[in-house]
Amino acid sequence: MEVAVQLQMAMRSQSIPVPSLSWLRELVQSRRPQPLAPLMATARTRLLASDLTTEGLLDDEYVAAHTLATATAGGGRNNNFTVEVKEMKLRQDVVVQVLDVENVTRSRWEQVEELEAIKRGEQTKGREMIRLPVGDGDDELGDDAATQRLSTQGDAAAAVAATATPKNATHKLVLQDSEGRKVYALELQRIERIAVGKLNIGEKILLKTGTTVARGVILLEPAHCLMLGGKVEAWHRTWLDGRLAGLREGVGADRQQ
Amino acid sequence: MTRILCVAEKPSISKAVATHLSGGQFRTSPTRNTYIKNYEFDFNFGPPWGSCSVTMTAVSGHLTHAEFPPEFSKWDWPPPDRLFHAPVLTKVADQSKDIAKNIEDKAKYARALFIWTDCDREGEHIGGEIRDAALKGNPRIEIKRARFSNVERSHILTAAQRLVDLDDKQVDAVSARTELDLRIGAAFTRFLTKTLRNLGGPLSELIISYGSCQFPTLGFVVDRYFRVKNFVPETFWAIKVVHEREGIKVNFNWSRHRLFDRMSVIILYERCLEAKKAKVASSREKPTKKWKPLPLTTVEFQKMATRFLRMTGQEAMTVAEKLYNGGFISYPRTETDRFDKAMNLRALVQKQTQDNRQDHPWGWGEFAQSLDDGAFQQPRQGRHDDKAHPPIHPIIYAAKSAFSNDNEKKVYELVVRRFLACCSEDAKGVATDIEILYGDETFVAHGVIVLERNFLDVYPYEKWTGTAMLPKFTVGEQFEPTEAMIAEGKTSPPGYLTEADLIALMDANGIGTDATMAQHIEKIQERQYVTTVERSGRAADQDADDDAGDPPPARGGRGGRGGRGSRGRGRGGRGGGSGGQGGGVKEFIPTSLGVALIEGFDRMHFDTSLGKPFLRKEMELQMRAICEGTSSKREFLEQNVAKFRNVYDQSNHEIHILKAVSCPKYVSTIPNPLPLCLFLFPPPIDRSL
Repeated sequence: MEVAVQLQMAMRSQSIPVPSLSWLRELVQSRRPQPLAPLMATARTRLLASDLTTEGLLDDEYVAAHTLATATAGGGRNNNFTVEVKEMKLRQDVVVQVLDVENVTRSRWEQVEELEAIKRGEQTKGREMIRLPVGDGDDELGDDAATQRLSTQGDAAAAVAATATPKNATHKLVLQDSEGRKVYALELQRIERIAVGKLNIGEKILLKTGTTVARGVILLEPAHCLMLGGKVEAWHRTWLDGRLAGLREGVGADRQQ
Repeated sequence: MTRILCVAEKPSISKAVATHLSGGQFRTSPTRNTYIKNYEFDFNFGPPWGSCSVTMTAVSGHLTHAEFPPEFSKWDWPPPDRLFHAPVLTKVADQSKDIAKNIEDKAKYARALFIWTDCDREGEHIGGEIRDAALKGNPRIEIKRARFSNVERSHILTAAQRLVDLDDKQVDAVSARTELDLRIGAAFTRFLTKTLRNLGGPLSELIISYGSCQFPTLGFVVDRYFRVKNFVPETFWAIKVVHEREGIKVNFNWSRHRLFDRMSVIILYERCLEAKKAKVASSREKPTKKWKPLPLTTVEFQKMATRFLRMTGQEAMTVAEKLYNGGFISYPRTETDRFDKAMNLRALVQKQTQDNRQDHPWGWGEFAQSLDDGAFQQPRQGRHDDKAHPPIHPIIYAAKSAFSNDNEKKVYELVVRRFLACCSEDAKGVATDIEILYGDETFVAHGVIVLERNFLDVYPYEKWTGTAMLPKFTVGEQFEPTEAMIAEGKTSPPGYLTEADLIALMDANGIGTDATMAQHIEKIQERQYVTTVERSGRAADQDADDDAGDPPPARGGRGGRGGRGSRGRGRGGRGGGSGGQGGGVKEFIPTSLGVALIEGFDRMHFDTSLGKPFLRKEMELQMRAICEGTSSKREFLEQNVAKFRNVYDQSNHEIHILKAVSCPKYVSTIPNPLPLCLFLFPPPIDRSL
């Protein structure tokens, strides 16, 4: 049997999205012949790092059976996924990717203040001000190095936020299925992996059959939520870099759907 | 008989030590300094000294100070940057000349000098100064040092027989810092003053001083000012559940507290209503406590005085010094928040029972009596020990008539009440937590019944009020809540810094010592960098209900809970401290000059601004390295002088930035009455620049 077909079969038995044969063939051809296991690991990593909506990435059959539309279909295609429906359950597993995450237990301004302090190279621990390790302050650094440094600060910020996420934190996410449909999701019960700075943008989640959808918003609970991991590097970077500006913009304007 | 000269850091210690060593039998003779006496007595120090004829005297803190030679004293020439490398002379200060002479004279006839300064870095350095003075009188004198951490008798006697050598590393660390502070203080002060005077207007008359503690202190005030000014309120929503039972309205608080997203709250709320009934998930009753306070340190004392006595930290310290000199209270400069086990605290408590028999009692006599009758408990042990002084406590009982003014009365009362509270028992109560599940959401009702007030009876500075008794809820039972609604609120800005907040910040960031913090705070007011205003009943305080349970950090009411010595408190500890804080609390607001200075330096492209606490903190770490022997005075000075020299050069290079924010258009109102200051204030500065 062809390697790509074998791979696809093997991947079908896992809870990750199933890639298309053409995508797998390309992957197989680009690499030296090797055993199935490492090949599958590579396929998995690449898949989780990809945008799910990429043309030709996923197996058509898989897509057809794992979208929000099919999982909520009852009457017309989109009718059940609206604010008018008080509650319903997903009838199938749906694979989605994370486009945005915010902690709605914290005010935006509080987060703005924190991010700005970090940008200045400071962090507060109780009353104590701590100086964050920030490059060497060399102004000769090229542009690349400068952005690098900023990004590290973004990461530091993220790390700070992640470690400080308390038990009663509640996050609101924007998720997208492989057809490109975007929905809001709300953390109904705390899921450790979900935290600003911990959860990657582009990370994949498998919403299992039975997941509650209320007023068109997916309610996340550990029992129905399989975190598959992954990250779309470019998205994540953009999200990190734009976070402060986004928060600043959002302050003042009350959050609306 | 061998003659020995003993010198303590201050008169009180020399007297206490002389009393213990001599068994109270000593001759007192005056010196040319009115405050300093020489005590003479005999004492056996053990081998190799044996029985000795002792003269015990004291200095009054540091004997010397650092200064530049006269040719550097003119501000016009040479330019300020020369001060980074100018020679530095160590000179006996004018007011200390008699003291130094006394030591020099007495050393002439002594075989050895025993130094009894405090066992901390400053004490070691003062020891070095005493040594130098003694060597001047007698170059062959032997030098030893006593290690002691309080003036309790047996401890002192032991210390006298286990003398050690003076630690030159610590002496070096302090003299390194002294020299650096002189150089950078003088260089930047002259530089700033000369530069800004040229801008004319009100600036032409001012001295713009720089100090390595002063600027970070100002930095804290400016930082908070902008946090208040730039604050943007945000709306939040919460679900409130009320259930009436047995005539009591029980408030259940949402475990998510509040969300800044309306849609999310509405969805969750709808699911609660949909569920109709709430189910009791747990009901726990457990004993709870409000902990009695820790023994009183200087920092805590200052914080309390500014919050409850309407005094500034500096005023409070002046009064406390006076009470100390009068023998009313123990030495008020201490970092120690634990009493030595050997101290007889009960005897001190007993003295306060006299209050019962007064015509105009303070009102704590009965309480002290009850402690003496058996309720006495050993105070909590904090984690700080300066190895030199016990926590602040009353030495004797004094009637109200013993004091000449209200401030003295208030300070004495605070010290006694705090001490009695420390020797009492924690307040006890019982807490009830009822958790319900309503839809997908969890809500908790919390109730506290205070059973025994204990220390609170003598300590009005803290409050602990119970809630109504919660009615009975049984686990598993279901009920339909009387009320469930969405509540909306807005976040409110933090308050401006109070002196207690400022002291706490300085303490947490290593700016100044307990002995100098109040001085730095006073200095930045004197320099017109900051001004104080009485805290008004701000809107934020009035609609506290909206924001209940989660006020912005470090708001005045909670400001007193320093990092120092506060251990995790149970729920019962909540709500304390905020009592008693009515009007009269002062808040610090920077003047336009103060803002300009900090903004000016923040905007220059430093690795770290002079307005931040980091440089000072690094200095502190390097001093420690000298003490540990991993660095030296020379290394310290070389590194730091170079570092500050760079900062200086860069400031010089970018001085237009400072000039721009300081130009008279903005800094036009010094000294500025506040409302004017706010009107004329520069437009909000985007700090991210």
